[in-house]
Formats: sequence, C-alpha cells, structure tokens
Amino acid sequence: MSSDTGSPLLLYTGKTPNGYKASILLEELKLAYGGPDYDAFSIDIRTNVQKEPWFIKLNPNGRIPTLVDRSRNNFTVFESAAILLYLEQHYDKEKKFAFDPVSDPDNYSEMIQWIFFAHGGVGPMQGQNHHFNRYAPEDLPYAKKRYIDETKRLYEVLEIRLSQGREYLAGPGKGVYSLADLNVFPWIRLHEWAMIPTLDEWPSLKAWVNRISERPGVKAGVAVP
Amino acid sequence: MSHGKQFTFYTHKAGPNGWKVVFVLNELGLKYENVYIDLDFQKPGYQDPEFTKYNPNGRIPVLIDHRNNDFVVWESNAIILYLTEKYDTARHISASTPEDKALELQWLFFQASGQGPYFGQAVWFVTYHQEKVPSVIERYQNETRRVLGVLDGVLCKQEWLVGDKYTIADISFIPWSNVAINRILADVEGVNIEKDYPSFYAWHQKLMAKDVVKSAWAERAALIAQ
Repeated sequence: MSSDTGSPLLLYTGKTPNGYKASILLEELKLAYGGPDYDAFSIDIRTNVQKEPWFIKLNPNGRIPTLVDRSRNNFTVFESAAILLYLEQHYDKEKKFAFDPVSDPDNYSEMIQWIFFAHGGVGPMQGQNHHFNRYAPEDLPYAKKRYIDETKRLYEVLEIRLSQGREYLAGPGKGVYSLADLNVFPWIRLHEWAMIPTLDEWPSLKAWVNRISERPGVKAGVAVP
Repeated sequence: MSHGKQFTFYTHKAGPNGWKVVFVLNELGLKYENVYIDLDFQKPGYQDPEFTKYNPNGRIPVLIDHRNNDFVVWESNAIILYLTEKYDTARHISASTPEDKALELQWLFFQASGQGPYFGQAVWFVTYHQEKVPSVIERYQNETRRVLGVLDGVLCKQEWLVGDKYTIADISFIPWSNVAINRILADVEGVNIEKDYPSFYAWHQKLMAKDVVKSAWAERAALIAQ
C-alpha cells in the first residue's frame, strides 16, 4: 500500500492544488530544517481510490491530501489547511512560515483569517468553476459564468490586500511569506484552468504569484507527485 | 464606538455564519453590539466602503474587539478561533490538548469548505436562482447528503467531534445543518434525515437543545419575523 522507506511522514496526495499545498510546505521545511522526510502516496482522484474503505478509515471525507505522522503514533490529519497548521506546529520550530499564536496573536489571527478565506472561498468556488467549465458532462452557461465571476471576485479581494504595499498576505509591513500565502497560491497558480488566461487585471496578485513561484521549495513541491 | 460593549459584531439576521459566532460569544459570556447588515443575496459581496474597509471580501460576520485596539477579524471560523484562543483559556468549549487542537482545526476547515460553501450553493440553486436547473440542484443536494453521511459515520462511534466534549468544532456545524434539514433536503423524495443519518441527527438535536443555542435560535426567529 505505501512505499515504507521509514520516513516519519506519509502524505496521501495528488496532482491538485490542495495536494500541492502540503507538498510545498514539506519541501520548504526540508530546505529550512533538513527535514522531516516524507513519503508521498500518489492518488489519481479520478479513480476514486480515496473513496475505498481503507482510505475512509483515515479520512471519513474520502479526499486528499491526508497526512499520517508515523513518528507520532500515526496521528492522522485531513483538510489541507489543517495539515499546514499541523506541520507548522510540530516541524517549524523557528516559526519561519507562521506566527506564534501566543507571542504574536494578532498576526497569527490575520494569517488564520486569510487561510479560512482561501479555504472556504477560493478553493470551493474555483473548484466549482473547474467542475462546470472543465469536467461536467452538461453545458450549463449560468453555472459556468457564476463560478468564473466568483473566482474573479475572490482574486480581486486578494488584489485589494496585496496592493496595499504588500508582498505577502499576512505579517507586518510588506508582509512575511507564511501559510496564508501557501494555502492559496496553488489555486491562483491554476488560473488558466479556471478560464482566466492572465492575471494582468490584478497586477499585485500577478507579482505575488511570480514571487512565490520562484522559491525552490515551491518548485520542488509542485513536482510532487 | 459609543455602545460601550467589548465587541461590535457585523452580522445578518437570518444568515447562518453569523449565528455560529453568536453561539460562541454567548457561551463565553462576552458582551457585543449587533450591527445587522441588509445583504442582497443576488450580489456576491457587500459593497459599502464603510464595511469593506473592515472586510475586503464584503461578507458577514465581522468582529471588532475594542479591548484589543479595535482588532478586526472576519471569516466566521477565524472569529471563533480568535475568541476561544483569547477568552476561553479554561477550554470550556475548545480543545485542551495539542492533538485535539489539530483535530479541532481539521473539523473547522471541513465545515468552512465542505459544509458551508456547498450547502450555500444548494440554497442558491434551490431557492434564489430564477431558473430551476435539475442537474445542478441534484449535484448540490447529493453533496449535502454526502457531507451528512461523513458526519454520521464519525458520530456513530463518538459523541462529539473532538476531545470527548462539546467544542467549537461541533458548534460550527449547527446553522448550516438546520439549512440542510429545513430547506435543502426538506422536500427531496426518499430522503428522511433522521432515518438515513441517525447519529448526525441525534447530535444535531443535542446541539440545538443547548441553552445558548436554543435562546439564540429563538432570537433569530423573532428577528426574521419582524
């Protein structure tokens, strides 16, 4: 079932934005700290392997990514944003990718706000956009347009934030690269699939995507699987 | 702010996401001033600059903490987390251990992305959209049922979602569960939520019976009736 090389972490993932969120952070952690090592179990979600009973035992929602921490009694986490926060809590000791909730609570809260905005807004709505424009067997013009419009509206919200002299979504001043950016970047990166050919309409957002794309950890992460 | 209360709370009389936060504010005994926004559900985001200066996403709820330099928080589950981090230090309604904290976040994210938005699309296509598009309605009704099934599958083995106690993880699901029962799946042939998802149903009724939830939900009914 898994390629058990003895890595402390096992990530069930796929070639999707939510999967890349986790693999990007894991690659960033490896570059920053030398670890932890992880095994990536690749799932093609079109085959519905993730709906099989053995996987449902790990994640009752039957979705990737799902993380199993073998070094901590096989503790299992689902929901991509929760995985990011879990990894950060245990493996980002110097808080290179987040803010300390106790000593820096307001920056931490802002980061959480943008994480929920992406998790509840960008992900599901751009996801519906992909469904109706790329996968649905029926041609439904209203649904196609509804979710393209909402995707654009959400991009505009990010643009509002970033055009306030910011390089990143959370953190003081120009901002600091954090989970807030990581949690939404893989979706924005896929804008063409969302029927949005260029990001020219949102120049700060476009610059932010280019900035993040250049990071070695990001390049490594989007190659997994 | 002249009202003298600790919080200003921008919300909506009927909308589900504001009431989630009200449950938590009341459980923690916190004092807040409601500002009810009149939302036009035909528009995707509230445009008034006096509001979007707080939340560029133009949605409720939004909370301002006047005892923390007028700190602004939006996204209902981010608000709930802010409130419990700061004001539930005894962990009455929030996770007590780091493991449970991770699971609490997990369920909050599942609620925020898997329940809210999908149930919201169901309501849009069932109630608001001027055209009835059967395949789309079915898509979101099916997803609503799938989500109830996910919860039912977990709750048949345990009483609460996290840490063997009532927490914000459970609370976050309440308002949209009511929408599923009373609106999305109310007239769907062959669906009987109590029979089909018994553990989910029992858990939801237990949550609705909590004092704070019961009184807030009655308050909501009164506001809507006005």
